[in-house]
Amino acid sequence: MSAVAESTGHAGRGVERPGAGTAKRLSMRNLNKSFGQVHVVKDLSLDVAPGEFLVLLGPSGCGKTTALRMIAGLEQADSGTIHLGDTDVTRMLPKYRDVAMVFQSYALYPHKTVAENIGFPLKVRGVDKAERARAVREAAAQVHMDGLLDRYPRQLSGGQRQRVALARAIVRRPSAFLMDEPLSNLDAKLRGFMRAELKHMQHELGVTTVYVTHDQIEAMTLAHRVAIMNHGVLQQLGRPREVYDNPVNMFVAGFLGSPPMNFASGRLSGGVFEAPGVRLGVRSQGSGPAVLGFRPEDAEIVASGAGTFNARVYAAELTGDVTLVTVVLGDDNLAVKMPKEFEADFDSDVGVRLNLARCFLFDANSGARIDATIEGAASA
Amino acid sequence: MSRVQGMAPPQRPTGIARLFEPPEIGRSAIGTRIVVYTLLILWSVFVLFPIYWVVITSFKTPNAVNQGPFYIPWVDFTPSLHAWEELFVFDYEDTLKAYLNSIIIASCATVLCVVVGSMAAYALARIQYRPKLGVILLFVVCIALAFVAMAVAGVDWWLALAVGVALFFFLARALGRHFRRTLGNGDILFWIISQRILAPIVVIVPIYLMFQQVNLLDTHIALIIAYSVTNLPIVVWLMYDFFSSIPLDLEESAQLDGASRIRTFWEIVLPLSRPGLAATTLLVMILSWNEYLLALFLSTSNAQTMPILVAAMNAGERGILWWSMSVVIIVMIIPVVLLALVLQRFISKGVLLGAVKG
Repeated sequence: MSAVAESTGHAGRGVERPGAGTAKRLSMRNLNKSFGQVHVVKDLSLDVAPGEFLVLLGPSGCGKTTALRMIAGLEQADSGTIHLGDTDVTRMLPKYRDVAMVFQSYALYPHKTVAENIGFPLKVRGVDKAERARAVREAAAQVHMDGLLDRYPRQLSGGQRQRVALARAIVRRPSAFLMDEPLSNLDAKLRGFMRAELKHMQHELGVTTVYVTHDQIEAMTLAHRVAIMNHGVLQQLGRPREVYDNPVNMFVAGFLGSPPMNFASGRLSGGVFEAPGVRLGVRSQGSGPAVLGFRPEDAEIVASGAGTFNARVYAAELTGDVTLVTVVLGDDNLAVKMPKEFEADFDSDVGVRLNLARCFLFDANSGARIDATIEGAASA
Repeated sequence: MSRVQGMAPPQRPTGIARLFEPPEIGRSAIGTRIVVYTLLILWSVFVLFPIYWVVITSFKTPNAVNQGPFYIPWVDFTPSLHAWEELFVFDYEDTLKAYLNSIIIASCATVLCVVVGSMAAYALARIQYRPKLGVILLFVVCIALAFVAMAVAGVDWWLALAVGVALFFFLARALGRHFRRTLGNGDILFWIISQRILAPIVVIVPIYLMFQQVNLLDTHIALIIAYSVTNLPIVVWLMYDFFSSIPLDLEESAQLDGASRIRTFWEIVLPLSRPGLAATTLLVMILSWNEYLLALFLSTSNAQTMPILVAAMNAGERGILWWSMSVVIIVMIIPVVLLALVLQRFISKGVLLGAVKG
C-alpha cells in the first residue's frame, strides 16, 4: 500500500517493468451522456495517472459502465472529451484507441480455441504466425492457461474463461485496460482468488486500468484510487482508505463497508444532536434534521447505561472472525462489530459506546457531511 | 401466530387415470406410452406410405399400374425398369434439361437470397433505423405518379420511372425534415414479412408482365430473381432471429480487438450463425426446388424446371403416366434429401456455448 504514496499512483515505484513504458494517462473532461430522457453520466471529469488502477464504484444504473463504454468507444459521448496520452480519442473508432476491454460476460469467441481467442487481436493486426504464437504462449503463461491452448471456451470453467479473457486483453500490450465487472460471474471463493491475481498482474504490467464494479470490497482491495458514482454524478474520488475514513456524504458512507456505516436519524440544534435516546454535544453551527453516522467497528456493546446510548438487541450473528450485533434504536437498525466470543440475548437491553472521534454528522436532506466535532454525551 | 395444518401429499389417482400416472421419476406411464406410440406409428405410416407408393410405382409397367392396386413387389407384380428406361434412355434429353434447370435456378436463387437476406437481417438486428413515415408515403406517391404517366400519357416506362425517382429524391430532401412520425426496425421487419402474406397468385400477372417488358421470359435469370425475391422475407425473418441471439458483447469485443465491421461479420458473426444459415439455406432451397406457380408462368421450354415436367406428365396424349411421373419424382427428391443430410450436421444446438457466462 505504501508504495502508492501519492494519489497519482506509481510515481515512487522506481522499478522498471515490462510494458510500463506504454502506460498512458487517461483523462476525461466534462463527459455527458443521455439515453433518451435519462441523463446517465453527468459532467464526469476524471484523471487516471499512467499505470494507475482506478475503480469506478457505484450501484447498478449509476452510469459507471456507460462511462467505461465511452472510454472504449462503444458509446459516443454527448459532450466532453476523452484523452489517452496526448491523443484526443473522444470520437475515435474503438479499434484505433489502443485500449483492451474485459467484459463481464468474458465475450470469448466460442468457435475459436483458447489460442485463437488470445491471438485474435494480433491476427487482426496482421502479426505473423510465429510471432503470434510466441505472444499467445507468453500471455497464456501469465494467466496460467498455457496448458489449455487447444481447448474451446465451452470446455473451460468460469475461472478459466476469465483468464482467457484477461490474456486476450494483455496480449497486445494496450495503453489502457478497461474492465467491466470482470469477476462478478465467478463464485465467491474464485472471485477472491482472481482479485489477488488481477491486482498482481496489473502491478506487473503497469498498465493504466479502469475497473468498473458494484462490489465495494473489490474496489477497496484493488484500487489505487476509487471513484464513487451515483445517479451519473461522481461523488468522491480518493484512495480507498481516504473514502472509507472520510466520506463526503451519506451515499459514500453508506456504500462502503460491510456492513456499511450505521445511520441514526435525529435533529441538530443549538450545539446538540438529538435522536430517540441519544443526546450528543456537538461543536457546529448547523441546525435542522441530521443523521449520526458511525461504522460498525467504531462502536462496542457495553452494559446498559454504560454507553453513549441504550438500545435493544435485535440479533447477534457470528460471522466467523467477528460477531455482528444488530441493535434497534428508534426506527433505525444499527450494526456493531464485536469479538467473536461475544454473545447477546434477543431483545436484551444493552448500551452502545461510540468512538466519538470516528463519528460523522450528515445533513438529513442533502446527505452532505456537516463539518462538526462531536464532543460527548450532553445532559438534558 | 397461526400455523397452517400440515397437509398430506395429493392422493394417487384411481381407475383409468392411474394408467397415465408415471410410476416413478424418469419413467413414463404405460398409458402415455401406448397413446404416444400409436400416434407416432399412425403418423409415420401416413407420411411414409406415399413415398413407398411412388417408389414401387416407378418399378411398375403401365399394365401393373392400370390393373390396380398392387402393393408388394415380387408378390403382387413383377418389378420392371420400363419407366426408368423410358425416361433416361429415350426421353433423357428433356429430363436432363429440366433437371439441370432446376439445379441451376434453385442453387443460384438460394445463394443470392441467403447472401442478400442475411446481410439485411444483420443490419436490422444491429443498426437502429428510423425511416420517416412521410418519406415512405412520398415514395409511394411518386411511383404511383410514374405509373399514371405511363398508363395515361403513354410515357416510356424507364423515363416515367426515372422522373418519378428523381422527383422523390428532390421532394424527400425538401420536405423530409418536416415529417415527424418515424418507424422502427420492428416495422421494417413486419413490412418485409408482410410481402410473404400475399398469395403469389395475386401478383403473378404483374410479375409476368414485368419480365415480359424486359424480355426475360423463359430465362433462368427471371426465375432466379423471382425465387430470390419471394423467399427473401423468410431469410430476413429467420436470420434476424439468429443474429439477435448472438451476444452483442462478442461483436463489441471484436471491435476493441481491432476488427473492422466486415471482419467482425465474417469472422465472428457468420461462423456463429452457421446453424441458422444451414437451416435457412435448406428451407429456401426446398422452396425454390419445389416452386411451381412462378415456373409455370415464367418458363415455357427453355427454363422449364422439374415440377413443371412432373405436372406435364398428367396432361399427355397417352393419359396420366403414373410410372414415369414416379421416376421423375424420385429423381427430384434425391438432391433435397442429400442436401438435408449434409446441412443437418450444422443444424445443431450449442454453437454459442461458452461465449458468455460460466
